[in-house]
Amino acid sequence: MWSYAFRRVLMTIPTLLLVITVCYLMLHATPGGPFDSERKISAAVLANLQAKYHLDLPLWQQYLYYLKSLLQGDLGASFRYADWSVNDLVANALPVSLAIGGGSLLLSVFIGVGLGIIAALRQNSIVDYLVMLIGNLGSAFPSFIIGPVLIMIFAIWLKVSPAGGWNDFQISYMVLPMALLTFINISTIGRVMRGSLIEVLNSNFIRTAKAKGLPMSTIVFRHSLKPALMPVVSVLGPLAISSITSAVVTESVFSLPGLGKLIVNGAANRDYTLVLGLVVLVTVVAVVLNLLVDLAYALLDPKIRY
Amino acid sequence: MKKTMTFSVVAASVALALAAPVALAAKVPAGVQLDAKQELVRNNGSEAESLDPALAESVGANNIARDLFEGLTATDADGKVVPGVAESWKQTDATTWVFKLRKNAKWSDGTAVTADDFVYGIRRFLDPKTASPYATTYGIFLVNGQEVAEGKKPVTEVGVKAIDKYTLELKTPYPVAFMPELVSNTQLGPAPKAAIEKYGKDWTKPGKLVGNGAFMLKDWLVNSKLVIEKNQNYWDKANVQLTKVTYLPVEDGFADVKLFQSGENDWVYQLPPGTYEKYKAELPKDIRNAPMLGLRYYSFNVKDPLLKDVRVRKALSMVIDRDILSSKITADGQVPAYSAIVRGTAGADVTTYDWAKWPMAQRVAEAKKLLAAAGVQPGTKIKFTYNTSEYHKKMAIFAASEWKSKLGLNTDMENMEFKVLLKKRHDGDYQIARNGWVADYNDATSFLALIQCGNDQNDNGNCNPKADELIKQGNLSKDPAKRKQLLTQATKMIMDDYPMLPLLQYTVPRLVKSYVGGYSTKNPMDRYRNKDLYIIKH
Repeated sequence: MWSYAFRRVLMTIPTLLLVITVCYLMLHATPGGPFDSERKISAAVLANLQAKYHLDLPLWQQYLYYLKSLLQGDLGASFRYADWSVNDLVANALPVSLAIGGGSLLLSVFIGVGLGIIAALRQNSIVDYLVMLIGNLGSAFPSFIIGPVLIMIFAIWLKVSPAGGWNDFQISYMVLPMALLTFINISTIGRVMRGSLIEVLNSNFIRTAKAKGLPMSTIVFRHSLKPALMPVVSVLGPLAISSITSAVVTESVFSLPGLGKLIVNGAANRDYTLVLGLVVLVTVVAVVLNLLVDLAYALLDPKIRY
Repeated sequence: MKKTMTFSVVAASVALALAAPVALAAKVPAGVQLDAKQELVRNNGSEAESLDPALAESVGANNIARDLFEGLTATDADGKVVPGVAESWKQTDATTWVFKLRKNAKWSDGTAVTADDFVYGIRRFLDPKTASPYATTYGIFLVNGQEVAEGKKPVTEVGVKAIDKYTLELKTPYPVAFMPELVSNTQLGPAPKAAIEKYGKDWTKPGKLVGNGAFMLKDWLVNSKLVIEKNQNYWDKANVQLTKVTYLPVEDGFADVKLFQSGENDWVYQLPPGTYEKYKAELPKDIRNAPMLGLRYYSFNVKDPLLKDVRVRKALSMVIDRDILSSKITADGQVPAYSAIVRGTAGADVTTYDWAKWPMAQRVAEAKKLLAAAGVQPGTKIKFTYNTSEYHKKMAIFAASEWKSKLGLNTDMENMEFKVLLKKRHDGDYQIARNGWVADYNDATSFLALIQCGNDQNDNGNCNPKADELIKQGNLSKDPAKRKQLLTQATKMIMDDYPMLPLLQYTVPRLVKSYVGGYSTKNPMDRYRNKDLYIIKH
């Protein structure tokens, strides 16, 4: 298993290189540059700025220059946030995204799996319908609607929570965005868990277990849960990445200083280095998470061996 | 040149010198009781790209720069020029300004602010290595400023000199009547040489930044907040009421309003489009709306085969009913505009078109005649380009419907990302494009840049050499009245070329808590230093 993991990690290098190259070319092919603004800067000033950021070099030289600094762990200087390096910006935003995204994911796994189990065991009952209703609401309503509604109720009417912002991991600022993300994630996890558990409960080995007269709790928790979790684990990887990085809307609604905000501002401002740095980060996270998911399969399914 | 100085220049300089001193900030009117807690939270619309005054480009970054740094002069809450580090100034001849610095001005580390700090600051600002986006914008007003910014001359050649420790001389290539206003921009202010050399690029970080403004940097968390505190070394600290100000970088207008309603923000940067009337009714005590020196307009590409005929451009401009646009479509207090110069601009009068006063039927009839004469048939297609935004879309639909219903022209509307629009506009790759402009300094030349021959800001490609000559003459004139007359005349001439379709003068509809004192709605540049604000007991 360890050699498998090692090989998988090695394989990330060509993946990463490909992602960087494609992203690099796409960014530079996009019309408009980092220094285009409503007040057009003069040719002389543009030349000064390009020289400062090495944009006056041929594209391939810039590319090699970027790769070289990347190898040294330097993601470069940001154009949009001129006083900061991309490393600084990521180091400041990552903990926020991890806390909100990771925390809500953990919560939604427990709640989602729990609700899925309840719904599956009480299939087609009122409990099942209720759980599925919550699930469907979560996927039907976009976060830019639920978010402001939450703020309206809890921050403006009840005044029990701040309307947004961030204050050094103070829990009150994290509750609403985490609740929103959890609500959305629960809908996916709950539905997958329900469907998967129903399928497992109808399978032959469970029928055998029932015929042997095992108590329901043993059947569910010892025999069904593990195989039923397989599809849940599969969606966790992509879900984790989206909770951390595509929290663009959540971060905007709650004015959070996370990675999503940087990605949007970076892309809109043609901040090449910032966008590339974040793409590198997301790629690494995606590769690692996929690896973890694959390794988790081996723990859940004895048929899988690496 | 010295000897030929006219009486009016002398009079003007004397008047300025006399008018200049004794300006106390945060003048709290008698009877107003101050709150025990002098703390303000104000949204700044976006994250500052830099706190280095030489690099600050956006409105938001410059707002903070004016708190952390102070130039020779400053502008108060009414937009009037008041003394900054300079306690008085004089135009000693047509192209020379001498500023006397106050001796008690200090950096936040306690050292004195001297004329050398200004020399260093201005040279650093123009140095190509600094790569300031404003280098040529302001550089052109100093002798050799442009050449230095372009790297053609060494920084030591720029027209700034320390006569002695507390006297600074600025030399301009031609008379610059608005110099006292211009030097309120912190780009042309002093820079803390010791700190910059010690910390390099990191000098703007909390704990390292040394400033000379009324406030000093306490904390800066990107995309979260920037906190400043009263600078105890500031020369006029007795008149600074606020002890702490938190700038928020909230871009989403609705999120901004929610923070305001929940009490976490005292100052909504700008109300989301279409909400002004609603909040005016709901929060009448907090709503503030005032015109500023900004113009919404559409650029005509005069090189386009259809639009190269001035009659077509005129017809398109004539039929847009600005009154309906402002009262019904945008409905946020903006005023109709018929000129490149907006109300409140110094240095030229607002021009207008004769037809602006005509009844609409007459305007339409005349526009139809013009189109017929130009050989443009009803049903002809025009292409309008704008950046994706509900607000711009609403205005564009209105314009298209005016052109359709009144002239029978069909408009193809093309929306795109902002940067793509900028590129297309700068490249002249459009027919009609949405555009907007906010003055960098209060003088007509800031707006004339949009329509002058070959100016970087001229997207329309039009050039009126005669008008350009008038502008040149005006700028060389030593008589402000004469200059004003020439610039106004030039504006009128260029506007008769119809290189642009002026629509509305910007306003800034926002919410500011009624307990925030010192906020004035007579501030055309929308520049509020926290020095001028205070919290009323509530």
